[in-house]
Amino acid sequence: MPKRVLLANRGEIALRVQRSCRELGIETVAVYSEADRDALHVRNADAAVLIGPGPATQSYLVIDKIIEAARQTGADAVHPGYGFLSENPAFAEACDAAGITFIGPPASAMQAMGDKVQARRLMESAGVPVVPGAEDIDPQNVEHARAEAERIGFPLLVKAASGGGGRGIRIVESIDELEDAMRVSGTEAAAAFGDATIFLEKYVSPARHVEVQVMADAHGNVRAFGERECSIQRRRQKLIEEAPSVAVDEELRARLCDVAVTAARSCGYRNAGTVEFLLGEDGEFYFLEMNARLQVEHPVTEFVYGVDLVALQLAVADGEPLPDDAGLPQPHGWAIEARINAENAYANFAPSFGLVRRVEPPLGPGVRFDSMLYDGLDVPIFYDSLLGKLIVWAEDRPAAIERLRRALQDLLVAGIDTNAPFHLALLDHPDYVSGAVDTGWLEREFEMPPPPEGDPSELTALIAAALASSMGSARGSGANGAAGAPGRGWALAGRSDALGARVRHAEGRGWRSGIGSS
Amino acid sequence: MAKRHRLLVGGEERTVVLDSAPGGGAETLVTIDEAEPIAIDVDAAELPGFVSFRIGSVTRRAYVARDGASFDVTVGSRRFRIQQVTGSGRGRGVVGGAEDAPGEITSPLAGVVVEVRVAPGDVLEAGATALVLEAMKMQNEVLIPLDGTVTAVHVNARDSVEQGQLLIEYDPAETEE
Repeated sequence: MPKRVLLANRGEIALRVQRSCRELGIETVAVYSEADRDALHVRNADAAVLIGPGPATQSYLVIDKIIEAARQTGADAVHPGYGFLSENPAFAEACDAAGITFIGPPASAMQAMGDKVQARRLMESAGVPVVPGAEDIDPQNVEHARAEAERIGFPLLVKAASGGGGRGIRIVESIDELEDAMRVSGTEAAAAFGDATIFLEKYVSPARHVEVQVMADAHGNVRAFGERECSIQRRRQKLIEEAPSVAVDEELRARLCDVAVTAARSCGYRNAGTVEFLLGEDGEFYFLEMNARLQVEHPVTEFVYGVDLVALQLAVADGEPLPDDAGLPQPHGWAIEARINAENAYANFAPSFGLVRRVEPPLGPGVRFDSMLYDGLDVPIFYDSLLGKLIVWAEDRPAAIERLRRALQDLLVAGIDTNAPFHLALLDHPDYVSGAVDTGWLEREFEMPPPPEGDPSELTALIAAALASSMGSARGSGANGAAGAPGRGWALAGRSDALGARVRHAEGRGWRSGIGSS
Repeated sequence: MAKRHRLLVGGEERTVVLDSAPGGGAETLVTIDEAEPIAIDVDAAELPGFVSFRIGSVTRRAYVARDGASFDVTVGSRRFRIQQVTGSGRGRGVVGGAEDAPGEITSPLAGVVVEVRVAPGDVLEAGATALVLEAMKMQNEVLIPLDGTVTAVHVNARDSVEQGQLLIEYDPAETEE
């Protein structure tokens, strides 16, 4: 085992890895940007190093600064988390060159899988089924792209070869939309990944997003930990993940795991990875991509398989073999994860920044809350909107749904908006309850219900405001930023509403409440 | 002594009167608009921000953050922006973000300019994309609110912008009534 692990990440995942390290007696080093000076992952680490200004391109994405931080603090291993440098082969190589263990796959496997175009070709040759598509797309050669698009048929997807986390993907319904989609996708990919290469893929629809967790050691053992169902997505961002999937029985699970292991072997994979599939209504499945890192949604697998995937990552990276594989393990019970994002569910999910006044995390049986939240956190604008993940486990799916509802009701975040009302509304939807969903379901079928008329919480809020007003005038203004004292968060609180009216998401199905729509 | 609060919530003005219960008990009498008064039992929480009370045996709780005449109240998973109304006029909306004046487009958020799609002299229709801003890793299109002709562009791609910063000026077209 390493002695000191540097977390090349921030937010909830840095904290999550720190926790496993601590249980294993491993010291932790945090890196942080100026915007994260007060972040929980910094406070919770044994040591912390400032690596630059807020924008990730000047801090969390700068390989040299992170290697230097590891040197300076004597870290002998680096955990990349997800996002940022986690799937950057140059980073893995830089760690190797500096004699620091990279807790993840070898650069070569990352390279093979990180380039979605190359990955498709590799999988085809390994006999893994892939989605029909076109890989040799030149953004300059629009005529060729149009011909390939016509061959594949509509709707189709324009994807970035270096894409990930839903970025750089555009759906194209007809030939007229192709050129625009190619340009937006290419621009977004170039900005995010420094690579504008794009490809086309048939939009298999309706389909479920089902993915298999794999873990590979340095001794040729590859093990699959069943599937996760991640079909509840908006703008290609997963919002709810479950393990197992309602659509997967034991026989299908065995086939999915088998193919996932083949995929991992074909690129010489090591450490934790996820093989994503599209599962059609007919039970046919296609390889989508392999994510060469720990996934955001890994905790649902940890719950139903009773494993600590981060602990396994640390062991495998240190050369230990995987525990003996006694056949394909079956999941126990049901786990659901709800991503808690800083978004206003009632204002077309516009991002919500600012000062978090108060957090009450959900507790109790079968509840896990991996989060960066604390009282006084000023949510920075530079990073994604994920505040935390609420994960529940119960004996079966209906009980897990009820538990998630209870936990969401217990969660209180004051000062900024979260998407908790969305999750609560989703859990009430009959299609979600029955599991009759696909990756397009949310955007096609689900409409965020307006706040209930005559909601007793409005009455509560009115009385609370009147009481606070009375108390405030009696006591004078307190010094602590809660009722009674103005705070910097107020300057920021107006943003999300202003946004809702004036901006729409570039994909066009975002915030079109205002000027952009008729 | 009765204390009257005029509060604006969801665009509607409500009146909340707080009064001590007759007989000097611990309860507070609450009258909302013209409804019958209800007796509530307020917890004397010392932790600022927390408000909890009982209506009969029904428990209620909220977290209140205050800024002058504005209250940001969280009840369960819902959040209410409540504005105190003072004087004779109605209060302004709780949150800022007033629409831009015709002829100006200011930044609706702090972020980075990804792409500028217009140049001085461009004649545009309402709803056209003026530029693309990135914040929290999402790209957002800033739209031209009215038909008009662009007269000045004050930012370039890769510029960081603050919320409210002037981005673009344009001449709104004459509208036909």
